[in-house]
Amino acid sequence: MSRTLEDILFGAPRPRAIAITRVMSVVAAGVLLLMAAGIVARFRSAGQLDGRLWEFFGWQTTWAFLAKGLLGTLASAAMAGVIALTLGLLLLLGRLAPSRLLRWPSIAVIEFLRGTPTLLLIYVCFLVLPSVGIKISTYWMLTLPIGLSTAAVVAEVYRAGVLAVPRGQTDAALSLGMTPIQGFFLIVFPQAVRYIVPALVAQLVIVVKDTTFGYVVTYGELMQNAKVLIANYHSLVPVYLVVAALYCLVNYATSWASRRLGRPVH
Amino acid sequence: MGDASRLLADYGPAFGQALFLTWKLTLASFVPGFLLGVVVAVLRLLPLPPLRFALTVYVEIFRNIPSVALLIFIVFALPDLNVVIDYEPSVVLTLALVCSAFTADYVRTGINTVDGGQIEAALSLGMRPITVITSVVLPQALRAVVQPMTSLLIALMLSTSLASQVPFPGRELTALVAKIANDSAAGMAAFALAAALYVASGLLIAWAGATLEKKVRILR
Repeated sequence: MSRTLEDILFGAPRPRAIAITRVMSVVAAGVLLLMAAGIVARFRSAGQLDGRLWEFFGWQTTWAFLAKGLLGTLASAAMAGVIALTLGLLLLLGRLAPSRLLRWPSIAVIEFLRGTPTLLLIYVCFLVLPSVGIKISTYWMLTLPIGLSTAAVVAEVYRAGVLAVPRGQTDAALSLGMTPIQGFFLIVFPQAVRYIVPALVAQLVIVVKDTTFGYVVTYGELMQNAKVLIANYHSLVPVYLVVAALYCLVNYATSWASRRLGRPVH
Repeated sequence: MGDASRLLADYGPAFGQALFLTWKLTLASFVPGFLLGVVVAVLRLLPLPPLRFALTVYVEIFRNIPSVALLIFIVFALPDLNVVIDYEPSVVLTLALVCSAFTADYVRTGINTVDGGQIEAALSLGMRPITVITSVVLPQALRAVVQPMTSLLIALMLSTSLASQVPFPGRELTALVAKIANDSAAGMAAFALAAALYVASGLLIAWAGATLEKKVRILR
């Protein structure tokens, strides 16, 4: 049974060390509580604890509005995820194709989409495309760039998974008379997906984070709705705190789920 | 072709400055973020439950919060709490905090690659736990995380684009493209140039990371 590193380092303390650890723990707790109290005092002195700034969180309409924003966030994130998974697969196939005519353009597209900030792509859809006469809705202005840049990353994740599947699996499939395509889709890819599920879910967290840019194109997601609430109630700090907490919760839940999925299947 | 040459004539120096600012923001946030992340990872090893709990909360918050939301909070909400930070330091602070949380996580993974037997050996030689951490565990952990840290640095470089969300006197690449697209019809050319500069910067970082990795990796 392997022990954790902390256990080996500090697992068998001498009595003096135990006493020191205890004192230090109390001191650390004290310092942390003091810091928390300092933050609360800062809120108080700045008048940010006034009931006026918080009371609308007791209203159902506020939460309905925030929930609508969260739904907008999830709608965009889900579609971006679908685009990323399918386009990522196409890019992977191009990347692995034996023909250079397919492989090199795929590598170029992957490197380009991966190496460019999502925000820059959003600005292109928002500012540049309309100026050349292409009009798309705010939903697509946000979702398409996120889906595209995630697709490139997903293609690389897929590739890592495919390369992790032992070469013998392909050989066995081919020797059974399968075509390379059949071997890939029936034998290699399903196994590859098992390896990379945690990485794919981690990518989903990044997608949710990226939808925060929705306010840039005024698409009604959580951040945009937060701005509307702030404009209505003049309550900056509380709204941003609540929204930040909501984002943290959604993403934490997703990462937690990915850790659960990451446990060995066998 | 005329588009591109006109773009370079009009905005060439601006692109140079924008690229420089992108790099500057990247480095200015990576260095403190990395150091802070290593400190957090080490402090999380100490057998002090309150400290461990607080640092776990710290890491989870800054790993999961969208950087834009954090930046907007720092820039627009903190002044209401009588904390006013200038725009550029706000961007650097945002990126450094997020970078530190991810660094702490990666360094922890690196620490896990160190074999327990080495620590037992060091302890039985009479080293104190703190010395074991700084001279046995950390050097190996840091060598093991070169590759994830390279990816983090690239992600951080791309994240500097969120500086375009605050009114900043200087313009980094994304803000410059947004301005050019607003002012003129050269948006597409500007975008292509900026994208090329981002991709080139990313490849440069990836190359440097791979070189460093080859130098320091531990073959087991």
